[in-house]
Amino acid sequence: MSHLIILPVAIYLGAAFLIALLYKKDEKLSGAAAISFVFLSVITSIISGIDVFTNGKILYFAGGWERPLGIVLMLDPLSSIFLIMTNIIAFFVMLYSTVYMEKYTWAPYFYTIFMIMLAGMNGILISMDIFNIYVFFEVASIASFILVAFGLRAEELEASMKYTVMSFIASTMILFAIALIYGFTGTLNIPAFMSEASGLSPVHLWFIAGLFLSGFALKTALVPFHTWLPDAHSMAPAPISAILSGMFIKVVGLYVLIRITTNIFIVLPQIRILLLLFGVLSMVFGGLMAYGQKNIKRLYAYSTISQVGYCAVGLGIGGYLGSLGVLMHFIAHAFSKTLLFLNIGAIEYIKGTTEVEQLQGLNDSMPATTLFGSTGMLGIAGVPPMGNFWSKLIIIIAAVKAGYTGIAVLCIIVAIITLGYFLKLQRTVYYKKVENPVKKEAPKMLLFPMGALALLVFISGILLVPGIKEKTLDKAVSVMENFSYMDIKIGENR
Amino acid sequence: MIVYILVALMFFTGLYGIIAKKNIIKIIVGINIVGYASNLLFILLGYKWEGIAPILTEDIPINYFVEKAVDPLPQALVLTSIVIDLAFVAFLAALAIRLFERYGTFDMDKIRRLKG
Repeated sequence: MSHLIILPVAIYLGAAFLIALLYKKDEKLSGAAAISFVFLSVITSIISGIDVFTNGKILYFAGGWERPLGIVLMLDPLSSIFLIMTNIIAFFVMLYSTVYMEKYTWAPYFYTIFMIMLAGMNGILISMDIFNIYVFFEVASIASFILVAFGLRAEELEASMKYTVMSFIASTMILFAIALIYGFTGTLNIPAFMSEASGLSPVHLWFIAGLFLSGFALKTALVPFHTWLPDAHSMAPAPISAILSGMFIKVVGLYVLIRITTNIFIVLPQIRILLLLFGVLSMVFGGLMAYGQKNIKRLYAYSTISQVGYCAVGLGIGGYLGSLGVLMHFIAHAFSKTLLFLNIGAIEYIKGTTEVEQLQGLNDSMPATTLFGSTGMLGIAGVPPMGNFWSKLIIIIAAVKAGYTGIAVLCIIVAIITLGYFLKLQRTVYYKKVENPVKKEAPKMLLFPMGALALLVFISGILLVPGIKEKTLDKAVSVMENFSYMDIKIGENR
Repeated sequence: MIVYILVALMFFTGLYGIIAKKNIIKIIVGINIVGYASNLLFILLGYKWEGIAPILTEDIPINYFVEKAVDPLPQALVLTSIVIDLAFVAFLAALAIRLFERYGTFDMDKIRRLKG
C-alpha cells in the first residue's frame, strides 16, 4: 500500500509542529523551513499525481481497516488536480510571505497556522468519508479565521468576526446533514452512501442535499451566501487573501460541491439547477458590485465572487463541456487571482495603501509590478491567449449546447463587464501619466512569485491542447461524468 | 419523537440568538447552544432507550448485546465535533476581547466600518 497519498497532510501537520518549536530560535530559519516543507509537499503531490494520471485512482485505508469499517482515503484524477494546484499556489504564496510578513510581528506563528490550514485543505482532497471531510474542513476553516485576523487591526477583527459567525452556521448545517445521513443509512462512507441513497425517500434526500448545498455554497461564497467574502478577503494580509481567493474557497467549497453534485447525490440531478441559479446570481452580482469599488482589494474580492459564479454555472450545466469548463476555469482563475492579490500586496508594501484614488501611474515607478498586474487582470478578463478565455468559451459553448441560451448571453455580458472594470482600473492605477515619478520597485522576493504566476497565467491554456488534455483534464472530467465505486474490490487499493 | 422536537427547539433558540441579537457575547452563547443541539441530535440518532454501554464482556449474551447496546460511532464522532465547537467558541471569545479593545463596545451595530 502506497503511503504517498497521506504525505501532503502529514508533512504539513509535522511542519506546523516543528515551526512552532523553532520560532524562538530564529525567524529566518522558520521561514526557510516553511518554504522547504511546502516544496516537499509539491514534489510528493506531483509524484502521486503522475501515478494517478497514468494508473488510475489510489485507495488508502487509514490504520489498515478495510472498507466499509475504516476511513477510506482516495486520490483520483479530480482530487489530484486540486492537490497539485493547492501545493503549487501555496509554494508561491509561501515564498512571497517570507518577505511580506516581515512588517508583521510573530511571523513564525503565521507559518504555523498557514501550515495547519494547508493540512486541512489537503485533507479534504484525499478524504472519501463524509465526516473526515467535515473534520478537515473545520481544521482549514478555523486556521483561516485566525489568518484573516492576523494583523489585529480593527477592520480585520471585524471581518474575521463576520466570517467566523457565518462559517459556523455553514458548518452546523453540514454537521446536521452528516447526522441525518448517518441516521438514515448507517454509513458515512461516500461509496456506501451512494449505494444506499437510492433507497431513501425524496423528501429526506432533498433535505440532506439542501443542507449540504447551502453549507458548502456559503463557503464558496455564491450569492446569496456571499456577504462575508468581500470583508474577509479584502482585509486579510495579502498572501492570505491570495490563498483564500485563489485556492481556499475552491477546495473547501467548489471541490466539495463538485463531489456532492457529481458523485454523492447522483440520484438527485435536480440540484444542478439550484447551482445554476446561484452561479448566475453570483456572476452578475459580483461583476456589478466590482464595478463601483474604490478599494482595489475589495474589487478583487467581488471579482472572485463573479468568477466562482462561472464555475458554479459550468457545474450546473454539467455534461462533458460543462465539467471541462469548471476545471479549466478553476485552474486559470486560481493562478490569475493569486497573482492579482500578491500584486496588490506588493503595491501596498511600497506605497502603503490600496485605495484607487491614492494609487496612480504606477507604470513609471514600479514597471515590473505593473507588467505582472496587467497580465493577471487581462487573464481574469479573458483576453485570448490566457487560460480564462478558453474556459469561459467552453462554459458558454456548453450553455448553448445544453439549451441555456439566456445564460450563455449573461456569461458574455459579465465577461465584458469584467473586462470593463479591469481596463478602468488599469488605466488609472497603472498607466496614468504622473509628474516626477519616484522609481522604487518591490523587493525581488516579492517579484519572483508574481513573475512565475504571470507565466503560468499566460501558458495555462496549454492544458487544453489535444494530447495534453486527454492525459490530464479528461481523466478528471471522466470522474465527474461517470463515477462508480462498483469496480472497487475489497482488498485492492486501486 | 418528542426529544427530536426539543432538539429542534434548542437549535432554533440558538439560531435566534445568532441572528437577532446584537451583543457579541450573546451571539457566542447562541453559537454554543446551536453546537449543543447538533451534537445532541447526533447522539440521539445512535441511542437506544434503556440501552447498555457498547462494551462486550464474556458474561453478556451476544444477542442481548446486539439488541441493547447503543451505537458507539456517533459518540466518537460527537467527541470530535465538541472539540471543533470548543475551538470556535474559544476563538470567538478571544476575538470579542480584541474587538472590545479596538471599538470599545460589544454591539455589532456599532462595529461597522466595512461596507459596500
